[in-house]
Amino acid sequence: MSNANKSDRDVVLVEGVRTPFAKAGTKLKDVHPAELGRTALQELIARSNLDTEVVDEVIIGNTGNPSDAVNISRVVALRSGIPLKTPAFSVHRNCASAMESITLGYEKIKSGTSDVIVAGGTESMSQLPLLMPPAIVEIFGKLGAARTTGQRLSVLGQLLKADLKQIVEMVTTSPFAQTPHKPRISVMEGLTDPFKGINMGQTAEILAKEFGISREEQDRFAVRSHARAVAAQKSGRMAEEITPVFLAPKFKEVVSEDIGPRDGQSMEQLAKLKPFFDKKYGTITAGNSCPITDGAAMVLLMSREKAKALGHKLVARIRSYAFAGLEPERMGLGPAYSTPIALKRAGLDFKELGLVELNEAFAAQVIACEKALNSDEFCKEKLGLSGKLGEIDPEILNVNGGAIALGHPVGTTGTRIVLTLMKEMQKRNVQFGLATLCIGGGQGGSVILERED
Amino acid sequence: MSIQESIQLKEKDGIAFVEFDLVGEKVNKLSTPVMMRFKEVVEELKKSSFKAVVLKSNKPGIFIAGADIEEIKKLKTKEDFKTVIDQAHQIFNDFEDLPMPTVAVVNGACMGGGCELILTCDYRVCSDDKSTKIGLPEVQLGIIPGFGGCVRLPRVVGLQASLDIILAGKSVDSRKAKKIGLVDEVIPAELIEERSVDFVNSILSKGKRKKRFQPKGMMNSVLESALGRGMVFSQARKMVMKNSKGFYPAPLSALDVVKKTYGMSNRSKALQIELEGFVKVAVTDISKNLINLFFMMESVKKQTGVKGDVKPRKVKKIAVLGAGTMGGGIAQVAADKGFFVRMKDINNDSLALGYKQAQSIWSKKLKRRRLTKHEFAEKMSHITGGLDYAGFGNVDVAVEAIVEDMKIKKAVIAETAKHMPQDAIIATNTSSLSVTEMAEAHPHPENFVGMHFFNPVDKMPLVEVIRGPRTSDEATATIFDLSKKMGKTPVVVKDGPGFLVNRLLMPYMIEAMFLLEDGMAIEKVDRWYTHKFGMPMGPFRLMDEVGLDVCVKVVKIFRESLGERIQVPEVAHTLSKSDRLGKKNGKGFYQYDSNGKETGVDSSVYKDLGLGQPTNPLTEKECLERGVFVMINEAALALIEDKIVETPQDVDLAMIMGTGFPPFRGGLLRYADSLGSKYVVEELEMYATKCGPRLKPTTPLSQMAASSRSFY
Repeated sequence: MSNANKSDRDVVLVEGVRTPFAKAGTKLKDVHPAELGRTALQELIARSNLDTEVVDEVIIGNTGNPSDAVNISRVVALRSGIPLKTPAFSVHRNCASAMESITLGYEKIKSGTSDVIVAGGTESMSQLPLLMPPAIVEIFGKLGAARTTGQRLSVLGQLLKADLKQIVEMVTTSPFAQTPHKPRISVMEGLTDPFKGINMGQTAEILAKEFGISREEQDRFAVRSHARAVAAQKSGRMAEEITPVFLAPKFKEVVSEDIGPRDGQSMEQLAKLKPFFDKKYGTITAGNSCPITDGAAMVLLMSREKAKALGHKLVARIRSYAFAGLEPERMGLGPAYSTPIALKRAGLDFKELGLVELNEAFAAQVIACEKALNSDEFCKEKLGLSGKLGEIDPEILNVNGGAIALGHPVGTTGTRIVLTLMKEMQKRNVQFGLATLCIGGGQGGSVILERED
Repeated sequence: MSIQESIQLKEKDGIAFVEFDLVGEKVNKLSTPVMMRFKEVVEELKKSSFKAVVLKSNKPGIFIAGADIEEIKKLKTKEDFKTVIDQAHQIFNDFEDLPMPTVAVVNGACMGGGCELILTCDYRVCSDDKSTKIGLPEVQLGIIPGFGGCVRLPRVVGLQASLDIILAGKSVDSRKAKKIGLVDEVIPAELIEERSVDFVNSILSKGKRKKRFQPKGMMNSVLESALGRGMVFSQARKMVMKNSKGFYPAPLSALDVVKKTYGMSNRSKALQIELEGFVKVAVTDISKNLINLFFMMESVKKQTGVKGDVKPRKVKKIAVLGAGTMGGGIAQVAADKGFFVRMKDINNDSLALGYKQAQSIWSKKLKRRRLTKHEFAEKMSHITGGLDYAGFGNVDVAVEAIVEDMKIKKAVIAETAKHMPQDAIIATNTSSLSVTEMAEAHPHPENFVGMHFFNPVDKMPLVEVIRGPRTSDEATATIFDLSKKMGKTPVVVKDGPGFLVNRLLMPYMIEAMFLLEDGMAIEKVDRWYTHKFGMPMGPFRLMDEVGLDVCVKVVKIFRESLGERIQVPEVAHTLSKSDRLGKKNGKGFYQYDSNGKETGVDSSVYKDLGLGQPTNPLTEKECLERGVFVMINEAALALIEDKIVETPQDVDLAMIMGTGFPPFRGGLLRYADSLGSKYVVEELEMYATKCGPRLKPTTPLSQMAASSRSFY
């Protein structure tokens, strides 16, 4: 069953590339997400010597939805030299937005609707805006409606009062506490589950407690992520999937490596960090979670017949994918829910997977997934399977490090893990690989690839 | 018959429509037959009882492009000009004096005589189309507006705005035209037919008017007052002198005419003054030379760079090897015209310099609002870069601009060809190496060609397209066409040391070094060349720009390939041992500050070069003649014996576009012809006896002199 026959309508990955990932607020903070996307897409076009005329559609994941580029996919496409005739749209499935772009492309090609799709994701978490609170928005509304100088002065008086209240609230409340006059921090709101009202970190705390995952276990996982990422940087492996970002307007600096992996990250250093979400009983720290990050990634999808006709080298074919839902407060377990479905659709056994990219939103959440899939009880009760899937060999899991070191630009990661996986499968001559991630709001997403020769 | 059709008079609802649409021409122009036909129309209108008259054009993108320059070229004497202009004045006056209101509806270019014609109308409207431009470019041809433009434009838009247009030969777009009051309304191009008629109907009740400029605001009122005018005129004169260095009499004449006629109520007297001013400059060689240059430029537009019917290939994507000053410049110019450009260099820092160069050029335009921020972002995104050959698989033309080293260039060309489509063209931007030899590295040498840009690429209009012995017609035509699409003026040259422009410049720069050895002061020689001869910079400044190390290197190469006509001055040897590299390290013949601004000659330079303090023993005449005549001498050889280019026009166009050789002199060889080959040869013989055999007249030049022939 595992060796499915090749067909002309198979969906194959031809090329992929990404920008460096940089911790939010660092080197890439002033680069617009459309520019990040352009940098990656133009390099994708160059590396594949792509005739842009043949592209049927551009699909790009993004969650920040910048107000000056609301359909950011179209902006990225046109700036990159994709012809005017070629449509483009943006997709949002939270953390899996850039996996959704790939799976949508897969569906379009599989169905025969399209032959060539650019899929990817771009995100600048640095540029997620502060939003004005309703109390102040209302005053600005009145200001616009004011007709006479008297009215205007009176509204400006209200604004002054509101500003003073804002200052008072800033001094008297904790930084993230929401008050009537303080600006709303969209990155905080975005990382808060809108159904349950708890932060993503708190969902990880739930998993850590339920699965009995210790602080030490999590920190050890984080240390491994950094060590592997640094090794991949040093060996040049990481550079293979990265194209540098030249920092306009001065062009004095070029960012060509991820800003996140720390050489020599030690347990001792991590142990010093305080739990962020549950100060007393918690185990989740900034050190064993992924940082908020800026970056973009793009892949080129084609039908097998088109890729062959155009003379492209095939890297991997998409065998199957799956998304699945679960309790929002346990969203970190998403991969455990979606993976068995994807495996079933591919007709593959869990043991046949030679590489796994499981996105590291939190160390606790990755470990919880490992434990869940290796548990008969969980697999039977929660997933309705006959028994456990099995253990994930740590030697095949996130072999070049993961988001704890590299970062997690929410709308980009889905493509990043597919990109890393497809390159690594070629490198290691692995036949089947899995890219999977958890999705804020309580979902999981999985994509299964088969290497092409 | 056809001339009747060229200007048709139609009527609708009592309004007369005078429609220009020259039969068999792409544009409308005011040639003598057209003027005669217009006269007929005016006569007819005089006798009619139309409610109003509308002037319009049925040509897309064109209202009236101006007078017929071919005709102007043929006019020789003052009397010739007077006859033509008197007649035009009469016709325009008659039109202006029609009893019914007149309206010009401008949708497209309206230049020179066209602009002067609409100034005789009572009202003017125009479309917002991009092609709509109204202006008076006459001074660029060495003449002044002669159909009443100097008289009527200031009356309509006031002194400041009109001098701005007339003295610089500028044109304005629809927005500016409305702002300065040149048109009464701007109408969306799509609606112009209908809405211009609405406009005509709206003015019927107002009837005729003679628009007079009304200054707005205190400042403008002051400047328009008798007192303020003096200031405006003296400022304008200063600007003209600064820009033209006094070499171009036309703007001064125009200024003089405006000064004498502004506010004058006697129209025929004012037009008479304009006529005097026009004739004075129109009969000069300067005007003839500028008109010739105009035709040379026009003819390049029509040329393909090869003989016969060879179609250039379509070029979409360009690669540039090397992102340095030249490579980055080439990338910027190509991207500016909408090409996608891939730069390749050996490290990211070099690529960054390429991006930076493009960014600085466009950000200046952004600041001056020539670009919007979105246009800016789009242009920037047309340039990408990499360290490998990614993206070369579908590049149509790669331009090589790496280090000037034959071995490295050959290796890179061979390597590049491997990554490109089989039939892709590789062009070299080399300035001193043999294109013929370099072509050996290309597996398909027919697709190898030279494409020599000049520094700074965004400012210098010339591209020498160097055709090697094996270069195909198609490759030549493609690069010729590409150069034009990049906004440049291409000249096809044969391979040979320095091709054309550098071959002529080299003896000129060498001669300057000899002048230095003879005791001349650097800034004195340079000043004579700029202020007395009209070069944009003197030879020493030029050498600093090029780089003194490069100059010395090339001098030695020339000596090897051209033999004893090239004498290497002692100074060149001393220079190569000094740390003076020119502008690039802030120290050459002149000194430069950190922004590259010249700060004067430092007195230690003479000592550094083993010379005493300058005594300036030579005359201006000798200094200029030695430098310019060695170029003429070399040009005779390059043109007649080596056939580097085919015509004297090629030499003149290349020198003007590539070195800024004074356009008013018509180019190097026109200048030589104006002196006569006999004189040039005699002088050269005299200098050769005095200074050395390098100045001896070359055989082809001597032969020309012996038979009293000229280059043209």
